[in-house]
Parts: sequence; structure tokens; C-alpha cells
Amino acid sequence: MLRRAVLQTFRQGLAQSFFKRYAVSLTETTVTHQPIETSNEAGERSVPTQKTGDESRNTVVVAPPEFRFMYPEFLPDPAMETRNRLREKLERMDMLQRRSVIEIPEFYTGSIMAVTVADANSPNKFARFVGICIQRGGSGLRAWFILRNVVDKQGVEILYEMYCPLIQKIEVLRLERRLDESLLYLRDALPEYSTFPLDMEPERRLNNSVVPINPLKVKLRPRPWLERWERQNLQGVEDLNLPQRFYDKAEKVAKPWEKYDLMLHYRKTIPAEEQEKIFAEVHSQLQQQELKRKLRRRRGPDNEQ
Amino acid sequence: MATRITDVHGHPSCRLHFWWMLCAVFVHLEETCSSLEFVWNSSGFGLFFNHEQIRTMSRVKRRTTHPPYWHVLKNNQRDDEKISSDNLCFVREVIQDKYKNKSPIKGSDLDIEKTVWDPKTKRSGVIARNIGVQHMWEKDGKKVICTVLHVLDNHVVRYVPPEEYAKSVIGTKMFKNRKPLGCLVVGAEAANPDRFTRQYCSLFDEVGLLPKKRLARFIVTPNAALPPCTPLTAGHFVIGQAVDVYGKTIDYGFQGVVKRWGFKGGPASHGATKFHRRGGTIGTGRDKARVWPGQKMPGHMGSERRFNRGLKIVRINMKYNIIYVKGTVPGPTNSIVQIFDTILPRRRFTEAPPHPTYFPPEDGTLPQEDIWDSSLHVFGSPSISV
Repeated sequence: MLRRAVLQTFRQGLAQSFFKRYAVSLTETTVTHQPIETSNEAGERSVPTQKTGDESRNTVVVAPPEFRFMYPEFLPDPAMETRNRLREKLERMDMLQRRSVIEIPEFYTGSIMAVTVADANSPNKFARFVGICIQRGGSGLRAWFILRNVVDKQGVEILYEMYCPLIQKIEVLRLERRLDESLLYLRDALPEYSTFPLDMEPERRLNNSVVPINPLKVKLRPRPWLERWERQNLQGVEDLNLPQRFYDKAEKVAKPWEKYDLMLHYRKTIPAEEQEKIFAEVHSQLQQQELKRKLRRRRGPDNEQ
Repeated sequence: MATRITDVHGHPSCRLHFWWMLCAVFVHLEETCSSLEFVWNSSGFGLFFNHEQIRTMSRVKRRTTHPPYWHVLKNNQRDDEKISSDNLCFVREVIQDKYKNKSPIKGSDLDIEKTVWDPKTKRSGVIARNIGVQHMWEKDGKKVICTVLHVLDNHVVRYVPPEEYAKSVIGTKMFKNRKPLGCLVVGAEAANPDRFTRQYCSLFDEVGLLPKKRLARFIVTPNAALPPCTPLTAGHFVIGQAVDVYGKTIDYGFQGVVKRWGFKGGPASHGATKFHRRGGTIGTGRDKARVWPGQKMPGHMGSERRFNRGLKIVRINMKYNIIYVKGTVPGPTNSIVQIFDTILPRRRFTEAPPHPTYFPPEDGTLPQEDIWDSSLHVFGSPSISV
């Protein structure tokens, strides 16, 4: 009973928080949602005991549902052949150890980031790269993300492994999301959509608890393209203006039944109960690290003064 | 960390890995004179090959699907018996009484003779489970793939002295012209006695151990003998040492000639009719006028005994009994492997390891929980600056 109640709140929370956090676009001026609980407040939430018959349990640590989107690399690879609970637990411990040394901030595809890496061949021994995150993947210590920028009219993409000890600093200059999960189409888009100044300053967020979605529609260059973008249901791309035969072929090749395939989606995701367990394990440590960093930041400018 | 500085998809360079076949060893056979011929074999390489050498390697007996005839029947053949819940509880109580929890065994409790380690000692090995792969980084920032091995609850079941072992079926073959060595039978993963036969449980009865799911034999020199019930843990190994890992490779099932033997097959297009992944010719038609034994053809692939030798131990976690080994290990994730000290001559021990095995210190001091090799970057330490 307790488990079901917790699960219910977790799942409802998931859906609610998804919409609250990510459904606000830049063009909207008013925020018309219920009071949003920030991840700082929603620390230890006690499960409403009136829903359960079991009154011996007082508080159950439930991580806020946003963690699933903020820290997706803590969830293991869903393929059952290679899963092992003990190894995943040890890997998470190592990830937390690394996070205690360096701050790996929350970011999404479409955020503009700057990464400083130790590089023996650079003049300063450190190499800093600014770019837009076009893709992110991997789980555990293998988590990676790709940053893209256009430097001297040459498109450059760099794949960074998030937990590599060579990385000195990861900054998020602009935290936002786009309409697609993967922005690989920027390779075929006009270069201005991938160009960001290398000396860009971090932008301050107006509303800390909501991650804005940038509804930008990108213009692509004329064909040939690297991929068949008309077959991928891209939201963030302007009308492709292709001859009708392309769209007909795309329809023929499409798999519209996949959205009804429950087992396919089940196999691609970690069940909610497990996600809950994983984030509950990791939650308190991540919170402590957040607090320590905030204190250091506050003390930093004070000390300088 | 991989850096792809390109705007166009780069193509990885092809790796030429067939030139090792040039160093072929002559195999002397009784039937024919070994003749070198210029052969275009089905794989499409034009090289000088010794016929006998190719044919015999694919004839090596690769696997058996049954245990040896002298093994006792292990798993219970009975279907679920219809016993009442009261009787079931009683059975469980009996099992608990029989195998009461013993206190952890200290080194001083066991009557181990104080033996000295010498470079020719062969120590016991350990049964572990391959629980997956984790990426770690060295101090210069280079990424290494480490296999995570979970040392299960190993206990020594019995020790067979050299004279007795030399008379056994395997012992006679192994020590035909050599000095005989002893054999340690080690078991791992205790399980409910219900699932095993009485004969199998009797192997553990004399020692008072719960029957184990896995048994293994390790060849040891007499000075590394261990008394029954000795636990073997991850501390048996030393950081930085090289180990050999034995496992059974991934079972691919019935596979075609391209995956199994690395044949090139045929062209994907250009008019090729029904010839894309086939073997092609299987003989010349001239000499022998038949298909030679050992001709490479489709068949069962995988599930074979293999040793990966000389793998370095880079991290040991004493709390969870985990060993991180640099490199990969035969077999799929969650399969059982055996770990031994390496036999490779240049990577053997020069200093004494925990001999005959590791025992936690008796003065109550806990060992260091997580031991790292000096070449690895510890995750809690500051970022690497080159």
C-alpha cells in the first residue's frame, strides 16, 4: 500500500513537474501554473500517511521527480543482458565522488555550455570550448555530451565525457531546452544557428525553477543533407519545402505503430520503482554537494570584499 | 575523452589485422607431406598456407555439453513434492540447525602449517562473477576499460595431496612426465540444499558447509595447501599483480561462416545472385578429390574455455569483495570466471603475496576499504592538470 502510494505520488509528480518545468516558452510573459516547488524545498517529502494503512512508517525519502531529467546518467542502460545491481551501485558511488570534486551542472540539449579541459598541447595548458549541446547520452561514468560551434567558418564538434578527470570546469552559459531531444540537424542548418561567441558570459536566469523551451525553428541549407530529416518528425526545423515524393516515401517507411508498442517502451526505460530507489540513494549526497557549493559561492564574493 | 573536430562524418582508418597469419608454424602430420601451396582460400587472402595447419585448427575439440562421468548428479530431479506447509517449516528448521552460522574464521583458528613462499609456489585461485565493465582513468588522463569481478563467498571444500591426485583421471594425464602437485577443491555461492541431490550435498557434509552452486579445482603446490572451510576473499590478491582469468566465451549459437571464421563472403550488389555471406569453394577438385577434414563451415560458435592472461589488478574493494581488472575477460556479464595468479614469466610475483591466503587482521583493525593502484586516478582526488 505504501509502495503504491509512493509510486503514485512519484508518477504524478513526474508528469506535473515535466509540464511545470519545461512547458514555459520564452514568448510567454505570465506563468499560469500552480505553485512550483523547487528542488531545494522538495527535499525530504513525507508520504501522506492518510493514504496508507501502514502507520508505523514515518518518512520515506523520495527524491524529487525532476532528478530523472536533471541527472539522467544515474539511470543505468536498460539492456537486461548487461545489468547488475551491485556494479551499478558501485559506479554511482564513483560518480558521486567525482561530483564532489567538480560541479557538473544541470543542462539539456540546446543549452550553451563552456568546458575547460587540461590539454598538454595548449599554450595555457587548458583549453576552453564554448558550444551548444546537440546531443547527450551514455549512462554511468561513460556519460557524454557533444558541443557544437562554428569557429572561423569551420564547424567544430567536440564530444566530452562528463566524468573524465581531465575536465576542469563545466559552465552552463545559457540553460534552455529546444523542441527536439537531438539537434544533429544543426550540421545541415545555416551556420548562424550554430555560432556562439567564444567569450560569451554566463546569462542569469530570471526564474530559477523553470527551464525555458526555446521554440526556435531552424532554417536548413539546401540539399544534399547528412540525414533524411523529413523522416524524423523534427519540431525545431522550418518547413523543409521538399517535393511531395519525399514525404510519400517517409510515410511508407514510417512506423506509426511504435507509439502503441508498450513492451518496446518498457524495454527502453528503467521502471519507475527502480528509478525511485536509485535517486533516493543518490539524492541526499547530491543535495549536500549543492549546499556546499552554494555556501562556497556566497562566501567567495564576501571574502573578496 | 574523444575529440571529433570535423564538420563532415570522418571515417575511421581500416585496421590491417590479417598479417599475423604470415607466421605459420609447421605441423608435422603422418598422412601427407606438408606442402606449401599458393592458395586463394575462401577468405580471399592470397598467402602461402600450410593445408594441414588450417584444417587441423578447426578440428580441435571445442566443447562438451555434459559433465565428466565421475561427477555426481548435482541438481534435484524431483518435481515439487506435495508437502504441507508445516512440514516445509520443519525442513527449513532442520537445515538451519544443521548449518548453523559459524563465526568468521580467523587465521589462528585453522591449523595451517607455517609455510614459506618461494617463487615456484602455486597459490589457490578464486571463483568470481564478471559483473560488468567500468571505465576508469589513469593519472595522465588516458581512459582504461576495467572489468569488475565480484569474488563470491569462496570456501575451500577439501585438499587432495599430490600422491592421491596423481592417481585420478585428470591427474594421470596432467602429471605424466612432471612432478605431481596438489589440488584444492573450492566452492562458491552457497545455496539451499533442497535444490541439490543427496550425493552432491554429501561432498560438503564432512566439512559442514552449505552446498555451493559452483565448484572448481585449483592446482597448488603442497606448501600453499589450505584446510577445509577456509574463506577466500578479494584480499587474496595484491594490487598491481597480473592475473589469468578463465571463463567460457559468449555463446553465439549456430553462426555462419562470415561471423564464425571471418570469411569475406561475396559482394552485396553488382549482380551477385544469392552469394552474400556464403563460404564459396570448399576444395580444389584436384588433389585429394574430397573435402578435407576440418574445412571451415557454419556451426556452433562460442561457449568455449578461454584464458585471458596477464591482466593487471588496478583496484580492490575489500568491503564488497570486488576486484577491478584492466582489460576484458572471457564470457558475458554475470557469468562465473576463475581467477589465478598469472603464469606469464615476466609478470609473476617477485615478492611474497598473502601466502597461503589473506586473513583479516586479528587485532580488530579493519583493512583499507578501497585500494587503488598508483597508476589510476582516484575519483575523489582533484582533476588532472597536465
